[in-house]
Amino acid sequence: MSQVIASYNIGNSNGVHGRVATKLAEIALEFDVEVLIEHNGSQVSCDSILDVLSMALVHGSEVQVILSGEKARSALVEIGAVLTAENDP
Amino acid sequence: MEIENNNATPSLSGESTPNLLQGIGVSPGIVIGRVVVIKRHTCRAGRYHLPPDHIQKEVARFHQAVTRAEDELVRLRENFADDLADALSIIDSHILMLKDRMIYDQTIRFIKSKNVNAEWALAQSLNHIKNRFDKIADPYIKERYADIKHVADRVFSILFGHKPYQLVQENEPVIVVANDFSPEDTMQLHTENILGFLSEKGGVTSHTAIVARSLNIPAVIGLTHITGSIATGDTIILDGGLGQVIIKPDSEQVQVYRRKALQSEVIADELAPYVHLSSETFDGYSVRLSANIEMIEELQTVHRYGCKGIGLFRSEFDFFHQQPQPDENALLATYRQLLDSMSPHPVTVRTLDVGGDKFLDHLPDHSSQLDPERNPALGLRSIRFSLHEIKLFTMQLRALLKASAYGRLRILFPLVSSLPELHQAKAILRKVSSDLDKEGVVYGSDIELGVMVEVPSAVILADVFSKEVDFLAIGTNDLIQYSLAIDRSNQHVAHMYDPFHPAVLRMIKQTIDAGHAQGISVSVCGEMAGDVICAVVLLGLGIDELSMRPAVIPHIKRLLRHFHYEQLQQLGEDVLRCVDGQQTKNFIKAYLAQHYPYQCNNY
Repeated sequence: MSQVIASYNIGNSNGVHGRVATKLAEIALEFDVEVLIEHNGSQVSCDSILDVLSMALVHGSEVQVILSGEKARSALVEIGAVLTAENDP
Repeated sequence: MEIENNNATPSLSGESTPNLLQGIGVSPGIVIGRVVVIKRHTCRAGRYHLPPDHIQKEVARFHQAVTRAEDELVRLRENFADDLADALSIIDSHILMLKDRMIYDQTIRFIKSKNVNAEWALAQSLNHIKNRFDKIADPYIKERYADIKHVADRVFSILFGHKPYQLVQENEPVIVVANDFSPEDTMQLHTENILGFLSEKGGVTSHTAIVARSLNIPAVIGLTHITGSIATGDTIILDGGLGQVIIKPDSEQVQVYRRKALQSEVIADELAPYVHLSSETFDGYSVRLSANIEMIEELQTVHRYGCKGIGLFRSEFDFFHQQPQPDENALLATYRQLLDSMSPHPVTVRTLDVGGDKFLDHLPDHSSQLDPERNPALGLRSIRFSLHEIKLFTMQLRALLKASAYGRLRILFPLVSSLPELHQAKAILRKVSSDLDKEGVVYGSDIELGVMVEVPSAVILADVFSKEVDFLAIGTNDLIQYSLAIDRSNQHVAHMYDPFHPAVLRMIKQTIDAGHAQGISVSVCGEMAGDVICAVVLLGLGIDELSMRPAVIPHIKRLLRHFHYEQLQQLGEDVLRCVDGQQTKNFIKAYLAQHYPYQCNNY
């Protein structure tokens, strides 16, 4: 079981909306890892897209992600790409 | 003056059509057909206290309802091909929401801890989520609550024992009309016989719009109270490109639109190659062709038609469609998305352009109510209103400046009629910049400032204004009304509204010359810019930029690419010698008939 932590700035001009949140949940499921997002002192798990949406992460927000699980490192690559991408996944 | 919906809209030629309603076109195409008006029953969840031995059963009933809702969504998803990626991913996120712990786990927790029925528990969970989303400032993310509501409604409907709703059971293709559509409604309807969509609601980022576009079904949204004014069985014409609806058209109108529909298909094919070409004359003289829009939702259309910039962003929409009134952050979100999406092309944002009395009516708790004006067209409107409500004006300018870090911003002051007025507006802008400097906020260093030339005094002072600003934008609609003293909505004088009136053309020429003498660019952003017969004249008079409805741009580009610049200049000179409007029009028509092989006014 490994854990990785990284920081990103949200790249999507509409912020983290439904499609972005959905993609994050799908990646967590696919790699079987727990993905926590931290922003402004609060923390949510990506398996609830409503939790993620209600954080209201707009374009440019800085977030910290914490991944735990066997494939945390591989999942981080994808999570990072989704969070920083300008376009919808 | 332009935000009024649901009004009979006069056409450029001045005839008005009383049964025509103006909404927001979100998916282009013209269809004629009978309507089906959908009125959905709303479910009210009562609260029932359950005996302890019923709790497990109730949890199981809720679980079943969610599973069935999921099945319905999965089945719906299977009906669609993978190329509808946009629409499919919406369903995917709805499936996830259904099982989200804020809905699913929370509802079960309520059932168990409060001994209540599933409907009530679900309503409570939904309330919690709503409270959280209400606090979100970002309008785009905030609007996602609508999705959660649609998902919950599906479960409610199963819990209440309603049949899975079949929206339309007609055999012939129909236009569906509703207060609002969920994305699934829109997709479900596709499998049935649908000609078009018409809805009362539909936010700026509404899924109805996205899905309708990806399914290629014409749609108009934002026609408030429409479900009250038409009934199932009525025939309507729906023009998804112009956002217009004609209720109970007469046979002549039907014929006109049948022809239009057919022609627009043919023309669309012909024009497709022009979308990617640059906008220049045959000999390489380039003119910027940009778009007039009023909401972010239209950006996709802007890109589809190859527009190189926004020549006029009407900023009123946010002020009228956000309750009670948008704050700086909400405006910033709109402007940032706008600039970011168009970058590196310029975006011209016109500051608030409304009549003051109408605007304050809209804000019920506003302290300084204004009396209804006897003559609103000559009253406290546009820049005058902004200078009267300095706090509001400052908020808009702050949002604009902050957004300017994301693209190329041009700020446009409407209805400026004197120099002190312009100085006052500029002083407020300077104050906003220096405030932001003090706050350490970064904003664009290349912001351009312009005035709208739309009253005769501005034309006469165009040389003076040109020394003060970076560009001039001629608003022909108002300029014609103010200089010819014609109210286009008055049927007795509407026929005298004439874009070809020699006085109008000379004023445009005078403005262009005054701008060029100071080395600044001059644009036109009224309806004239998008009319082939008018546009050819404007080009001849030396205009630098034409701003119009996005869908018209390929037409004007084809026109531009057909001529040599010298030809256009000669035409401009000849036209200025004409002494009455009809003579001018005949002259241009004859010229185009001889030199331009395409039809000129059938779009």
